[in-house]
Amino acid sequence: MSAPARMRLEGLGLSSTCVEVLRHLWDYLDDEITADGAERLRLHIASCAQCQEYEGYQSCFLDSLAKLRRELDAPRSLRDRLAEKLRGEGCRCWEQARRRTL
Amino acid sequence: MTIATLAPPMPSGLHSGAHGLALVNEVDPYTRRPDSGRDAAFERDALPWLDDVYRFALSLTRDDSDADDVVQETYLRAYRSWHTFIPGTDCRRWLFTICRNVFLRSRERQRPMVDLEDGEQDAVAAGSVYAAAREKGYDDLYATLDLAPALRTALDELVEPFRSAVILVDVEDMTYEAAAQVMGVPIGTVRSRLFRGRRLLQEKLLTVAEDLGFVTGPRASAA
Repeated sequence: MSAPARMRLEGLGLSSTCVEVLRHLWDYLDDEITADGAERLRLHIASCAQCQEYEGYQSCFLDSLAKLRRELDAPRSLRDRLAEKLRGEGCRCWEQARRRTL
Repeated sequence: MTIATLAPPMPSGLHSGAHGLALVNEVDPYTRRPDSGRDAAFERDALPWLDDVYRFALSLTRDDSDADDVVQETYLRAYRSWHTFIPGTDCRRWLFTICRNVFLRSRERQRPMVDLEDGEQDAVAAGSVYAAAREKGYDDLYATLDLAPALRTALDELVEPFRSAVILVDVEDMTYEAAAQVMGVPIGTVRSRLFRGRRLLQEKLLTVAEDLGFVTGPRASAA
């Protein structure tokens, strides 16, 4: 960890376990952490109001990002163009590219 | 945007050469037309992801017309190199890989010379952003406000390769491993790009909240 980052953490007055939460919370929320690590963080967060608050903040942030996924359909004109191109390639299922629901 | 038709890609880490070579020339010996089995598999496995690929292309290009070009080239390459797709594997991931390669090729972009080694500094820095938000009464910013428009704008403005990492993992719900395959980089690089992207987004949104004078909580009310 760099010196500036360490100084910022010291300024926050965090315990060493809180620092572990800070470093690995995103891995934890992404389910990209070992089972042991996840359990350690889960136990600490359950008993630390400060880390609970931080987990809630980051969870809401990630939820906001996930909601950006729009049910956006490929436009009709694109499907028509693609169908013609696939037809030109000799693809027998070119007509299916026109369909919105396959 | 003009996309030159190039030789079919071989997305890294996804395909078995031996498997592909056995099926390269799938032609019906009687009609000399492409094997209908290939077309049936392409229809079943690749075409259903057209909307997803379009959405991803649009997030990369940020332009409807460019996205159309990228999607069309993606599917043509996928069809021509269908023999390299391993049946039973994640076709959406494979198509996203081709799509991103088409996009990068069309923009003639290169990977950054220096990649971040790990994401922990950004994870820690995000804690500092949170501390700043808390001081200003914005600690429940995401829970109480509809930040979707601001978040979408911030994501559009996020530079590559951080934008791709955030889109693949946070918006398209891919694992780090899947995103690493799409981006053609190690998992650790995805993690560092993702964390940097998230931290930059949070900084941007805090600035937006301040600029617009959002008031979200009791601390802000008391101030």
